[in-house]
Amino acid sequence: MTVTSLHNDKISHPTFQSRLGASKLTLKHGKVCIIENLDVSLPEGKVTAIVGPNGCGKSTLLNGLSRVHAPSSGVVLLDGKDIHCLPSKEVARRLALLPQDTLAPDGITIEELIRFGRHPHQSLLKQWAMDDQQAIDYALDAADLQGLKDRLLDTLSGGQRQRAWIAMSIAQETPLLLLDEPTSALDLGHQIEVFELIRNLSRQGKTLAMVVHDLPSACRYSDHIIAMKKGEIITQGSPKEVMTKELVRELYGVECDLIPDPMTGSPILINMKRVRS
Amino acid sequence: MNNQSLVISDSKQEIPTPQGYRLFSIGEHAHLLIEKQAVIRNTWLLIALFCACVVTLGSGTMPISPTEVIAVLFGHGDAMSQFIVQDLRLPRLLAGLFTGAAFSLAGCLMQTIARNRLATPGIIGIDNAAMAFAVSSIVGTGISLAPSAMALAGAATATALAFGLAGGSGTRGYRFIVAGIGIGAIAGAVTQLLLSQVSIDVANSAYPWTVGSLSAREPLMVNLLGAGLVICLVACLFFSTQFALMPFSDQVITGLGANIKHIRIIALTLCITLTGLAVAVAGPVGLVALVGPEIARVLAKYRGIPLVSSALTGALVMILADLFGRTVLSPIELPVGIVTAVVGGPYLIWILVRRSSRNSL
Repeated sequence: MTVTSLHNDKISHPTFQSRLGASKLTLKHGKVCIIENLDVSLPEGKVTAIVGPNGCGKSTLLNGLSRVHAPSSGVVLLDGKDIHCLPSKEVARRLALLPQDTLAPDGITIEELIRFGRHPHQSLLKQWAMDDQQAIDYALDAADLQGLKDRLLDTLSGGQRQRAWIAMSIAQETPLLLLDEPTSALDLGHQIEVFELIRNLSRQGKTLAMVVHDLPSACRYSDHIIAMKKGEIITQGSPKEVMTKELVRELYGVECDLIPDPMTGSPILINMKRVRS
Repeated sequence: MNNQSLVISDSKQEIPTPQGYRLFSIGEHAHLLIEKQAVIRNTWLLIALFCACVVTLGSGTMPISPTEVIAVLFGHGDAMSQFIVQDLRLPRLLAGLFTGAAFSLAGCLMQTIARNRLATPGIIGIDNAAMAFAVSSIVGTGISLAPSAMALAGAATATALAFGLAGGSGTRGYRFIVAGIGIGAIAGAVTQLLLSQVSIDVANSAYPWTVGSLSAREPLMVNLLGAGLVICLVACLFFSTQFALMPFSDQVITGLGANIKHIRIIALTLCITLTGLAVAVAGPVGLVALVGPEIARVLAKYRGIPLVSSALTGALVMILADLFGRTVLSPIELPVGIVTAVVGGPYLIWILVRRSSRNSL
């Protein structure tokens, strides 16, 4: 593990348990190298927030970890095995992905959308079983959608729709869940709603990783932060260890002060000014 | 569904099923989820198709009553009716049923993988190439020397060329389609060139192959198409849950554990097989590939991917168009391709306009 850090005294090399990680991962878009030789792993049972400026490779990393983007070199390891060597359905029973652009079939209801989450558990001769219905009911409850289950997806508000997509991932019953900007384009209330749902899932033992833009939310709702710039991890660790003025300047070219939230103690950014980084 | 041994699961606990579905359990290990609406819809389509068949078999220069037609179909009736129905009219009807179903199913598959309701197998140049080959065989020899076989060869050539030009993979779909459009355009131009170089009589005999007609069919090709259609339909049912994922984005499909490359290749292969065989029987009747699936989607209220319904509506459209073409200006026979264009075109526009007013494409 090579974690270059701004504060070497504070950051230890990751020693946590991990089910999903990558070693010497290189991801390219065509000929452009987005991520090169990256080592990363997600702490088990925790919420990991991946932060960094636009174009730093956050989403690419998430796509790489979820085997949507095949690596040019290096491996993604799921439970110690190369994810591209495992049967795709097998992977989908352990790892769910909620991507950013979520196109859905026409005229689909919430419950029908969530039912697609059961796809990896079904087969030609086992199209429906008791556990399918239970998983869907559980997902509806967890995302607080029981009252809306027969509504059409198109007719919902952005927050409700995002909850429906998360519910589909919940119905997939995977121990790992990766979310790409789950709260972008949501208003404050809906953002908090989605973050609280994510935290609840983590309390139930799931391992989650999400790409987030809002730093205070990342600090507040995650246990582990991975800060990326230009395809590299510049630092990682718990929010309190990692979040500093220096990091904010390094990532975004923004000068600011950090104060602890009086209620939760997680860092809040104030007095922000754009500077040249 | 048609297995006698099937019983609704009566294990200790009734498994709750999603609304509108019914669970069929065959033995311990097979549990099939059947959409009630789809079963009802397809049953009605089958009934409509049967009625259309009876009317088609009964109409012509020697009209035969529907009861007599049904009697003949079940092995009764007098010798004259039997001859007319079974030997004269049934082969043409079967050709119409098979080609209609094949074109429409191929269209539905193409629209599914292209994620575009206006995509048809025609856009990858298959029917134009088949047309060019069939016309060249007629024009080149002055007599029709197995134009059906030539059409099949043309379809295969177009496919091979498109695959070759798209870099062998065809998995990305779009490159394949762009290559196909080019091939189709060239084949169309070649056909026009050939027709312009020969006498009017020869051009006339090649004419059915340029518009699509059921009059030039060959029995062997019809049988081949029938067999191909059955195999492709079964394959469609086999892969239907995977095809159902196609409206999602690539990332979601992968995330759910399906292999999008495999889905595309399977659907494209089925689509090309069906179109190639159908074109070899009837020439280009491409509009059925657009109209058939669209009607099926309207009947399915734009939910899911109505593969079986598409095949049924395609067959229905085809035989009704052929019936219309044979009877409306009798004894002059209008090629079925022209009827589908004249009647199907406006209907399609109406569906699309009506639909776009409440939803985008």
